[in-house]
Amino acid sequence: MELLSILTPMFFTLVTAGTVIGIIFGAIPGMTATMAVAVCLPLTYSLGLENGLALLLGLYVGGISGGLVPAILLNIPGTPSSITTTLDGYPMTQNGEGERALKIGITSSLIGGLFSLAALYLFAPALADFAIKFSYIEKFLIIFFALTVMAALSSSLLVGIFSGFLGIFISLIGAYDISRGGNGELRLVPEFLEYYLESGFSLLPVLIGLFGLATILIEAEQGMKEGQSLSGVKIGGKPFKLSIFKGQFVNLFRSSAIGTFVGILPGVGGSAASILAYSQEKNFSKTPEKFGKGEPAGVIASESANNGLTGGALVPLLSLGIPGDSTTAILIGAFTLQGIQVGPLFIGNNPVTWDAMIIAMLVANIVMFLVMVFAIRHLAKVVTVPKNILFPIILMMCVVGAYTINYGVMFDVWTLLIFGLFGYLAHKIRLEIAPFIIGFILGPSAEIYFVKSLESFGTFSIFFTKSWIAGLLWVLIAISIAFSISVARKKNKTENE
Amino acid sequence: MSFDSPFHVTVDFDTSHMIFPTIIAIILGILFTAILITRGRTILAAITSGPWWPAGIDHIRFFGTLVLTVIYFTAMPTVGDIFPNTGLGFYLCSIPYLFALSTLFLHERTRRTLLIAGANALIAPTIVWYILSELFNISLP
Repeated sequence: MELLSILTPMFFTLVTAGTVIGIIFGAIPGMTATMAVAVCLPLTYSLGLENGLALLLGLYVGGISGGLVPAILLNIPGTPSSITTTLDGYPMTQNGEGERALKIGITSSLIGGLFSLAALYLFAPALADFAIKFSYIEKFLIIFFALTVMAALSSSLLVGIFSGFLGIFISLIGAYDISRGGNGELRLVPEFLEYYLESGFSLLPVLIGLFGLATILIEAEQGMKEGQSLSGVKIGGKPFKLSIFKGQFVNLFRSSAIGTFVGILPGVGGSAASILAYSQEKNFSKTPEKFGKGEPAGVIASESANNGLTGGALVPLLSLGIPGDSTTAILIGAFTLQGIQVGPLFIGNNPVTWDAMIIAMLVANIVMFLVMVFAIRHLAKVVTVPKNILFPIILMMCVVGAYTINYGVMFDVWTLLIFGLFGYLAHKIRLEIAPFIIGFILGPSAEIYFVKSLESFGTFSIFFTKSWIAGLLWVLIAISIAFSISVARKKNKTENE
Repeated sequence: MSFDSPFHVTVDFDTSHMIFPTIIAIILGILFTAILITRGRTILAAITSGPWWPAGIDHIRFFGTLVLTVIYFTAMPTVGDIFPNTGLGFYLCSIPYLFALSTLFLHERTRRTLLIAGANALIAPTIVWYILSELFNISLP
């Protein structure tokens, strides 16, 4: 009954609004689902947890889905996760099948999204039940494992790990949290900033800076290219029929499963999911030569995989407290705003919120499908919105978000600028932002787990000998590093040849 | 933290706040050195081949965005102090900021595009200020 009291018209309006805004963000090249969630997060401050999550989950699903619009119509991926959609989607548009390609992509997105939602509903509680038994040692090793997985899938293992540890280091600025057993002493803070940095940098201004301001600075550096024109783009043409999915069941299932699995791996983005699913479909296809020339199976693989990511990425977040990707990392902010900690106890202690999240995801997927199918011709025009109008508004919203998050602290607005510049610099020197963010979020927990374990057991060997789970985690850590080294060697070999 | 044997340690609570940062700093140092060793040639080539930053970027739009943003951030609390607890610091500074930024990002500054930029600069902050400050009582600078 408590759940019914949450499922108000407001709840459904927020999911719908979030999904539509998310689609718009996703459809505009240069803007991502992560940016949408980061910019809108402060608005959830006055909405309450369930309504706030309804908005953010709508933004997440819509943002990931919207990327297919410019990918198919303009050959520009709206989000990194729709990169492989361009390969066959755009040739279909060139062949006069733009609308058909869009609707294939939208339907595949719906199926991928629903598949991953089912996986989330089944696996997250089970994993959380298992993780409840974890001591500080296993929790520390899980964080370490998450960092190595992210680093392993970065463009460079060393740079990925470095970025993750840099995130941890910056998260340690401030006092050693007394409420979690620390001694309350300040560290890494210059004397003149002690007043502002007692609790370290606030998470949300950091995220808004990295994903909002930094993106705009990168666009400004490139001259703020004008919105794309849709003139000459053939949206109509051959009609869409569901029969196109005949014989695509295996492709849909495999790609959705790949997307969900990649989502579960901490810190791995949607682009990895869609690239993996696309290459698998091409490998298994009887007509691989058709790929890249307008093959619908390519669009199906790419889009079902990237939406498969949405539910998958929430599994580690809600069961272990470890974000599955940079967007779900920002969702942690929504919980922090409401004073709720995500982790193994979250689902058991907050069953209503958990059910509301599942319903929000379900509604968001359905709304995404309906809106995109029936309003696709109008939505497609979003890609032409001038950036000179949009980006200043986003910057203003970034300021509002940063300022209001701690009830009006101007230093948080400067934090936004500092991390906006840092994000720009990181882009220039090719630091990896996703591991940095995950490191920044998990750093304080990692510290507590590590130091308290040492205080209790007085030996480093406990990290290897505590339990079979610890042993298994070390094996997984070794595998992820070995995998990365092997991939790097193959890459070097190919480059040398 | 003191080491009793290679694996055994005793943690001193009073200095325990420095254990983890020290370890992370050491690891960062090692990783940085490893990056320099493995990718030193690429980094050196990138540095020596040029062109150096900020060559090749849109100076006016990039630095213009930065300068306008710094002015905006500095002006907000100053103006806000004149009208305390009203959010007018945000509102009154956002209008010129949005107009200046929109104009800076424009490629063709015609009467029509400038009018749109002006209208946007006026309408967007008004809506945000009214909803947040007046309706929801959320504090703004």
